[in-house]
Amino acid sequence: MRFGVAQSFGIGLVAFLWGLPLAASLAAFAATALDFAAWNSLLHHPQLPEALPLSLWTGTAGLAAALAAALLVTMGFYGTAHWQKLQTSTAVGLSIPHLAFAIGFGFLVMPSGFLARLFVGGSEPPQWVTAQDPLGLALIACLALKETPFLIAMIWSVLAQGDVGPALAGHWRSARSLGHGAGSVWLRVLLPQIVARLRWPIAIVWVYGVTVVDMALVIGPTQPPTLAVIVWADLNNAAEDINARGSAGAMLMTLALAAAAALAWLAVSLAGKKMRRFMTGGPSSFGVPKTSTTLLTAAMIAIYSLVLFTLSGMSLAGYWPYPRLVPDTVRFAAWQGLIANGGPVVLSLMLALTSSALALGLVVLWLEAVPARWDRALTISAVASLTLPAIAMASGQYRFFLELHLTGTQLGLFLAHFIPVFAYVFIVLKGPFRTFDPRFQAVAHGLNAGALRFWVSVKAPLLKAAIAIAAAVGFSVSMVQFVPAQLIAAGRFSTLPMEAVTLASGGSRSLTAAYALALAVLPMFAFLLAQMLGHSRWRLAWN
Amino acid sequence: MELILEQVTISLGTQVLIQPFSFAIAAGETVTVMGPSGSGKSSLLAFIAGDLPSLLQGQGRVSLGGRDLGPLPPEARRVGRLFQDDLLFPHLTVGENLLFGMARGNSEERDARMRDALCSAELAGFEARAPHTLSGGQRTRVALFRALLASPHAMLLDEPFARLDADLRNSMRSFVFGHLKERRIPSLLVTHDLADAPAGGRVFTIGSGGKVAHD
Repeated sequence: MRFGVAQSFGIGLVAFLWGLPLAASLAAFAATALDFAAWNSLLHHPQLPEALPLSLWTGTAGLAAALAAALLVTMGFYGTAHWQKLQTSTAVGLSIPHLAFAIGFGFLVMPSGFLARLFVGGSEPPQWVTAQDPLGLALIACLALKETPFLIAMIWSVLAQGDVGPALAGHWRSARSLGHGAGSVWLRVLLPQIVARLRWPIAIVWVYGVTVVDMALVIGPTQPPTLAVIVWADLNNAAEDINARGSAGAMLMTLALAAAAALAWLAVSLAGKKMRRFMTGGPSSFGVPKTSTTLLTAAMIAIYSLVLFTLSGMSLAGYWPYPRLVPDTVRFAAWQGLIANGGPVVLSLMLALTSSALALGLVVLWLEAVPARWDRALTISAVASLTLPAIAMASGQYRFFLELHLTGTQLGLFLAHFIPVFAYVFIVLKGPFRTFDPRFQAVAHGLNAGALRFWVSVKAPLLKAAIAIAAAVGFSVSMVQFVPAQLIAAGRFSTLPMEAVTLASGGSRSLTAAYALALAVLPMFAFLLAQMLGHSRWRLAWN
Repeated sequence: MELILEQVTISLGTQVLIQPFSFAIAAGETVTVMGPSGSGKSSLLAFIAGDLPSLLQGQGRVSLGGRDLGPLPPEARRVGRLFQDDLLFPHLTVGENLLFGMARGNSEERDARMRDALCSAELAGFEARAPHTLSGGQRTRVALFRALLASPHAMLLDEPFARLDADLRNSMRSFVFGHLKERRIPSLLVTHDLADAPAGGRVFTIGSGGKVAHD
């Protein structure tokens, strides 16, 4: 095998800047499995017997609800005139960070929140427990609402894939002509064909839900909290034994997830034979409940709109007595405070811009210079890094960075943002680059265009939509980094999500709302900008 | 059972793709509609089947055995379809594909009907095979029998021979038309190749301006 300079450079750079810190972090995390004292301490933690099932319950229920909602919405709108319009709504929902959504949702449903003002009224707020409830229902609702747009986007992207989409559209027509109603066709023909392509997105949502920290800190149960929150508190403790117990907790969560995933796989395999009988048992007129899907979609759009409205209202509210729908006075003090203390915003912006720019450059270098056969290793590493609980990755990263004296440094903080950003940017760009029709290059060479001119005049313009979206994804991923960033920052730096979490646990409501809204709006701007930059004459012509 | 089309027209916004036309297809008869690409042939079949894309507008009355198909969803129309692609479901075996549209009932009887169909399709013993292991002609035969086992009252054929090579096309034409005639199923074939039309059958052509004329 001959290595070109560009190829070696690409592999070397990616290995050094991304692969090495990732692998070392994983190794440092794996080493915690051997700390028996930490395990002993963890297993004697008084809240563990309740916290672990609570984590599995909230994450699994959130995933189940999100999956059901995503499937219903897709089934209701697949092939209709509203299909494209819904994709835009989904993109907006997708771009709002989990943490900002949780803060807004908490404000929306709290006893004196906008929902109670709108539907309950009275002179006093109702005596409801709407957040931090012991069963974690608020956290489940939040996870379900926030993950539904992601799962819809994943289902839709599978349905739009070149090797699947047209065939599925044909199967749809064919199965309907064989006597099956729309719902039956979904369950018996379409879903069985796409479910294999959805397993990683489903796994990512599930792992995220079970191990989420920032959302759980804002809206999750407290007595006891979820295991992720307990682990988080331990990892933030300077005492070595407590910190080690946190790492063991992260390992326990990873092992529990692996065991639960194995159980789920076994259950699906055992159900396989019955499923085949169900699929071939004969025509069923089972349709799609159109009214329910329309109501569900409208309700979700309304909740997202109300969350943003609530954050805006709270950030500007002066005196806002219950049950008034709008504040009596408007104050800009929260925004002035946010601007005056601009450090976290500026730092988050700088980290997002630099980490996404470097990730974009490295990924494009890889995809241009390194042969596709090397992608497999990088894809596995990227997916593994995203599927592993963030708290587990962060625990390993913290230990590794501690050895290198990188905690509390700008470089450490940058790497904590760059590692997940690179993985996302690579996953987004791999498909468009690797499936780019090589005949364009042959045609360009035939027209006397060299490699550089071909790239600048043909390839980059054709792929600019994908590049712009990848940049926006990278920017957003960086903007919302909380768990690894907080650990690596070691109290020396504060980013937007760190500030928002701190404020949400007892700070001024208007200031919290302003930070949450800033956190929500910046990624939305990034996606809007990406959509504008990626807009192309040729795409319009094709559509 | 007769398939009757009355004053059927297809348009895309203000552009009329197919001007109003009427004809009836008798039991066991196959009528051919010819036209160039983009003339609205497949849209005509989609209108009859009840799944015309929302961009297009179809008008007119379609009845089958005296029953107006207009208000019925696609799955209740009893109209089978064969497409240019066989569209066998890749996650099901050949046998499971055949069972897919067959009426519910005793599983042993259904299995027996499936195996009989495989014999008629000259594919005995193929029930456990995956669709992708079959040749083009074998797949077309499975697609035909999958449609026939759903007991359609009419069949719509959307260039089902277009992807087959010349030798196979001839044998598949007589195979498909023979089975449709034997079961007395009225059928509508759309194609841009006159050679696909059954010998002696009626042929209509979509001409310029979307006018449908009898050849």
